[in-house]
Amino acid sequence: MFPRLQGAAIAALLLAAPAAAEDAYTIGLTGALTGPPASTYAPAADALRLYIDRLNAAGGIAGKKINLILQDDAAEPGKATANAKKLLTQDNVLMLLNASLSSTFAPVVAEAKRAGVPVLFASSVCPKEVYPPADPLQFCTTAFASTYDSRATLAFIKDTAKQPVKIGFSAMAIPLSRAEMDFAEQQAPALGMTVVDKEVIPPPTPDYTPFATKLKDAGANWVFSWAPWVTQVRTLEALRRLDWKGDYIAWAHIEAEGELARLRDGAFYVVGANALFQEQLPIHKEIAEAAKSAKVTYPVEQLTEGWIAGMVVEAALKATGWPATPEKLAAAMSTLKVDTKGLRGGPIEWTKDNHFRTRQYYRVYRWDSGKSAIQLVKDWTAFDVK
Amino acid sequence: MSRRPRASGYFRTDYGEDLTLLPTRLARFAVLGALVILLALPLLASPFLIDLAAQVFLAVIGALALMLLTGYAGQVSLGHAGLLAAGAFTVGILFKELKAPVFVTLPAAAAVGALLGVVFGLPSLRVRGLYLAVSTLALNFLVAYLGGEYETRRGFSTGIVVDPPSLAGKAVTDARAWYVILLAAAVATLLLCANLLRARSGRAWAAIRANETVAQTLGIGVASYKLLAFVISSALTAVAGGLFAYYRGFVSVEAFSLFLSIQYVAMIIIGGMGSLAGAILGALFVTLFPYAIEASLAALVSPTAYAGLLFAVNAAAFGAVMILFLLLEPQGLIGLWRRLQSYFLLWPFRHRPVGGARR
Amino acid sequence: MQLAVNMLVLTAIYALIACGYVLIYRVSRVLNLAHGELLMLSAYLLLWTASLFAGHPVLAIAAALGLSLLVGAMVYLFLLRKLTGEMALAAVLTTVALGVLLRGVTVIVWSAQQQYPAVPLGLSNWAFALPGGARISLWAALLVATTLAVYASLFAFLRLGRWGMRMRAAGQNPLLAAQRGINLHAIYALAWSLSTFTGALAGVLMALDSGLGQTMAIVGLKAFPAALVGGLDSLAGALLGSLIVASAEVTLIHYVDPLLSEVIPFLVLIVVLMLRPWGLLGTREELDRV
Repeated sequence: MFPRLQGAAIAALLLAAPAAAEDAYTIGLTGALTGPPASTYAPAADALRLYIDRLNAAGGIAGKKINLILQDDAAEPGKATANAKKLLTQDNVLMLLNASLSSTFAPVVAEAKRAGVPVLFASSVCPKEVYPPADPLQFCTTAFASTYDSRATLAFIKDTAKQPVKIGFSAMAIPLSRAEMDFAEQQAPALGMTVVDKEVIPPPTPDYTPFATKLKDAGANWVFSWAPWVTQVRTLEALRRLDWKGDYIAWAHIEAEGELARLRDGAFYVVGANALFQEQLPIHKEIAEAAKSAKVTYPVEQLTEGWIAGMVVEAALKATGWPATPEKLAAAMSTLKVDTKGLRGGPIEWTKDNHFRTRQYYRVYRWDSGKSAIQLVKDWTAFDVK
Repeated sequence: MSRRPRASGYFRTDYGEDLTLLPTRLARFAVLGALVILLALPLLASPFLIDLAAQVFLAVIGALALMLLTGYAGQVSLGHAGLLAAGAFTVGILFKELKAPVFVTLPAAAAVGALLGVVFGLPSLRVRGLYLAVSTLALNFLVAYLGGEYETRRGFSTGIVVDPPSLAGKAVTDARAWYVILLAAAVATLLLCANLLRARSGRAWAAIRANETVAQTLGIGVASYKLLAFVISSALTAVAGGLFAYYRGFVSVEAFSLFLSIQYVAMIIIGGMGSLAGAILGALFVTLFPYAIEASLAALVSPTAYAGLLFAVNAAAFGAVMILFLLLEPQGLIGLWRRLQSYFLLWPFRHRPVGGARR
Repeated sequence: MQLAVNMLVLTAIYALIACGYVLIYRVSRVLNLAHGELLMLSAYLLLWTASLFAGHPVLAIAAALGLSLLVGAMVYLFLLRKLTGEMALAAVLTTVALGVLLRGVTVIVWSAQQQYPAVPLGLSNWAFALPGGARISLWAALLVATTLAVYASLFAFLRLGRWGMRMRAAGQNPLLAAQRGINLHAIYALAWSLSTFTGALAGVLMALDSGLGQTMAIVGLKAFPAALVGGLDSLAGALLGSLIVASAEVTLIHYVDPLLSEVIPFLVLIVVLMLRPWGLLGTREELDRV
């Protein structure tokens, strides 16, 4: 009947041999293009597509175009696995990119390993396998990094605080955010800070005030939050409504630049690894122009992650040469150095053991109410990744 | 279960023949043909299709279990995702903590499922219908909470990786091997459910579903049969969850949301309540639906435009289809099939004759 | 003191959402599991009216609320009315499907990003101090006041108003009410409108207070145990149930483990279902009718 007809149609579509694009580099991406977390990953995928389209329009790499296949997995591990299988076995991609939630990682990586194809995590959180000693097939360009973010933030707080620090933490009730806040909670005493409270907030909370009340009552004068943007910003707003006058620092997600202007909070710091668009570097202007001519719907400041991924993909494919195989590509990626043209604090440098980057750079921004603009509080600080 | 005679010339002379699953030659050939096609499929189809089929088989196990509980025993359950999660986490936890092999983890998953079935079946002894559905909602949230706690406390923030199970010393990784295993599991579940329904338990459940008070007066132990339905259904679902964990090689709490429960309920509604074939059709439909939507969108709109909307269109279309089935064809796909069948069987007449030949 | 204020605000949120569940159940014995999505839709409609009536916040809010009345009536007339005579479960599953549909539609039209309706409306959210050192935000205070006003008017309407009496009659015995000449379809449509309206009030105020996103629908679901604990057909019960669930949640967040706040409403639900399924103030015979 109806579903059987559909099934037959799909079967016909899928059994037909895919047209082989012979004169192009084929890469595939599985990402949360739709679904609840899409607002984080979809702009990155769009920016990557923008970069690759521009590259192809300018002639590609030594005359060969790049064929980028985008697949949506809606942050579901089942769909991500199906996408990975399709990209690897049917489209024969050279590189598999992942721009989705961490729950999709393990099955996707397992598939890629079986096919011997390198996996690049772009805009999705870097798994621990890219840190030294790195897995030969896993690479990561994403800005945020567990444990290093906390280290950098705590170091910043220590440098900036004018009184003894009583620190509170705010996490979302997802394992990743909780693990990071647990780590920060462990590290803080060693830096002379007193940990007064840690809040773990479930996502669908109508009112953040009870959690903010606990933070305020515990006497925190600094609060650090490393969680999806919603949790970070609503905790801050709830705290301010309670007339809390302390300093708040959070990770600079892609929404940060737009939100700093909305919140106008002089004691709200964002720490991040990407340069904000208001710096108006030449590369920012380039991205803005490209986005405008391609009529990209996302705000221009959300395109940095994807653009950086595009730069890295271009460099990696250039280094691989032609004809390209996944093995040559993985080898090329193991010794890659890409200049980010100011988008990050320094180049993205990969070695055989380190597929994250040899140095991670951080910047801290906040809103300057006097000038009504975003102000750079601390310029690039480097952390060696060991 | 009454079986309408499809052809003449089949005279039943003992109870065994009356109860048999495949009464006519046509039925036997059809089943044989289906088995041949299903076993030949992995040799011909692309890996993507094989993976899709494996997903369908997993869904079929869960759908059959839910059909048993809701379609036959009449106990509404909205907590199916919680049971799947419980099975998957049992496998994951036993694997990670004790390196337990598959023939320990799957029975353990079944046991955990059975236990949850007892716990969440207890409200069914006091409440019915809507209230029971609501109490099973809690199952989702409870298991999600426990699973999230385990993941965080033990440091598996990105989920638990599970190695492929090893049968006879060899790890099962080949897609075709999985296809056969899951097909066998689905067929086994189908046989189990069919046999349960042919036996005393099936008749008891039909009586309870029709009218609980009358069933009680007839001497059927309503409480114990209700609990039995919950226990068996939950155990089967937990095993499905365990198989899911092994198949994906991965367990994480995000994969088991309330939406998954709704999908399973949709499977049995769209398939047609009160029919095992309906469960299978419903599972097939709901599993293939997103891919069908994707394919049709790709044909209609340019890929870049729709990529951002795919999930939302999926959800919207899914809700719309469910509403359409509930409004227009409450008996689901099986109802459509039966109507089609009746049309051809009764042609040139439109309706069954009153009295007389109707069975 | 801040703790008491937090409890009050959360109680008001749950109570305002819960009265929507109760209204529909009491009048037509249907459990509307799409309530969360409907109130989320109304809040998104506020975004739309905000762009239509930029600069006139009161007009925009009023328009959004008016639209919600219309949406509620339409849901009944075009969807639920077709299910008259089917078993109650079919109606519930239809509302579940409607909820899924609405989630998809809101994302298609407005994208999944967090929205802040207060921004295009030019409204700001400031907090003021209460005696005892507690603080409350403007919109939260408005929410509490609105909840009280809504409950007061609903009580008055159901007890004294003519249509209110008709609604109670239809809820008690639809057959007799119909034979008495009461137009059941109109009553049910009215109930759905009022329910969506109260939900819209909750949604709009929450959106103005802290922003609008897809999680608002789940908040709607969290308020459901509050309605059930008090008794699905009792407004006073909804108020009491919300108080119990909200107090438990806030106390547990403060003194025990915040994560429990997700699970607690449903655990309370199970306990109540085991011990007293018809809720604290509900009518006893509701169960056997199912």
